[in-house]
Amino acid sequence: MSEPLKKTHLYEFHKKTAKMTEFAGFEMPLWYKGIIPEHMAVRKSVGIFDITHMGRALITSAKSDAFLNYVTTNDVAALTPLSAHYSNMCNEQGGIKDDFVLSRLEQEKFLIVYNATNRTKDYEWLVKNAKPFDVKVEDVSDNIAMFAVQGPKAQETLQKVADLDLNKVERFKCGWTKLAGLEGFVSRTGYTGEDGFEVFVWNSPLTNPANAVKVWKAILEAGKEFGIEPCGLGARDTLRLEAGMCLYGNDIDETTTPLEAVLGFVVKLKKDNFIGKEVLTKQKTEGLKRKRVGLIMLEKGIPRPHYEVWKDSQKIGNVTSGTQSPVLKQGIAVAYVSVEHAAEGNKVAVKIRDRLSEAQIVKFPFYDPTKYGHGRQT
Amino acid sequence: MRVLDYEIPDKLYYSKEHEWVRIEEKEAVVGITDYAQKQLHEIVYVEVQKVGANIEQFQTMGTVESVKSVSDIFAPVSGKITKVNEELTESPELLNQDPYGRGWLARVNLKDFNKDLRKLMTAQQYADYIKGMEE
Repeated sequence: MSEPLKKTHLYEFHKKTAKMTEFAGFEMPLWYKGIIPEHMAVRKSVGIFDITHMGRALITSAKSDAFLNYVTTNDVAALTPLSAHYSNMCNEQGGIKDDFVLSRLEQEKFLIVYNATNRTKDYEWLVKNAKPFDVKVEDVSDNIAMFAVQGPKAQETLQKVADLDLNKVERFKCGWTKLAGLEGFVSRTGYTGEDGFEVFVWNSPLTNPANAVKVWKAILEAGKEFGIEPCGLGARDTLRLEAGMCLYGNDIDETTTPLEAVLGFVVKLKKDNFIGKEVLTKQKTEGLKRKRVGLIMLEKGIPRPHYEVWKDSQKIGNVTSGTQSPVLKQGIAVAYVSVEHAAEGNKVAVKIRDRLSEAQIVKFPFYDPTKYGHGRQT
Repeated sequence: MRVLDYEIPDKLYYSKEHEWVRIEEKEAVVGITDYAQKQLHEIVYVEVQKVGANIEQFQTMGTVESVKSVSDIFAPVSGKITKVNEELTESPELLNQDPYGRGWLARVNLKDFNKDLRKLMTAQQYADYIKGMEE
């Protein structure tokens, strides 16, 4: 028998206003108004997501740095207190165990936020590898609510409920703050490509949803003047895809390495030993066989996971994520293709229902970064 | 008639896969129902077989895609496609906005409608079918 689905603090709100879906053992909102209006609210103004389903753990010890540098690929020494970075954990074969954001809360205390689908696996992996380091790994997933407030109006919205001056929190920095009077933590991170924050309601066990509900409603109220929309997992997926960010289970998994996924910027091969280093070093020296690229359709049609990618009547790879981009109104995809065909600008074809449709390899993000995303100039 | 949240026009015939059929002399106009478009939500792409194609009842005659999903369109009748709704290429959202009107999919020259009819539902039967599914 399957276990009953878990519910977040906001379940009653979602149930009343959203089309619900099952995701990673949780009953979550797929969309409220619709994927496209929610997506566009984030690109043009602000949206709020309940992401409490994600996994959260605290890592505390004088040896946290040594442990995290061994179990993750990025360089933890580069993280000053109250800063965060994107990173990967690999298995011994260099395959990606998970991707996540790691924040240093204090000199010897870290918060790791990983994928909902990998909650049990990651926690067990961390605990197993922590043994030689005398490190405490504490799963706090069910004690902290987590929202994402994303979009060009995210700061103005969140500032109305936070007492911390958010001007002082730069991208990939974090800080403690009161949120609607309650103890909270914010990091200037996200999964949409836009400026924005991930918001943690600290003392908020699933069994007592009142605090989380209070903060959620306060942010919705604060964002009203900007047309804030609650956003579901549907828009979360289209937003991250337009930004060229990976979805674990689709674009990366234990059979893909960070180098193949073009996440080499979070792999610090100069570090002392870390899990997967040997294989990744060898792969770097010998060169890749395949890599992750972006595809934009030059014809009508929507690429979807598992569709084949072709070049000159030869199969060169597969799509791992695809959708119709709400901003571009064209089909876009993430695919793995053999490196000899992976150059930007290269024309390839995606096999959609037995027909080859023309596509072009493009760089991430898919949108014009001067017009959308955190680096926008307008 | 209106059942639950769904419009079900009286004079059409319906399939279990949520396509509708409107008879106009020797031809039929076909489309997807209000229920279908509401389940799919935000339709962003439609593809129907070309004019001249022979279609068989309950076989695939096209594809409809929402942001998240891909679904087959099953022919509610057998015959030859004489016209497809070209407007849907640029405006697939017409399927959401007007599923029984401007969102029609194709016109079909019928092969043997009396035979097809045995496996279709009236509006009342389809309404009961929808109610059964929502329970």
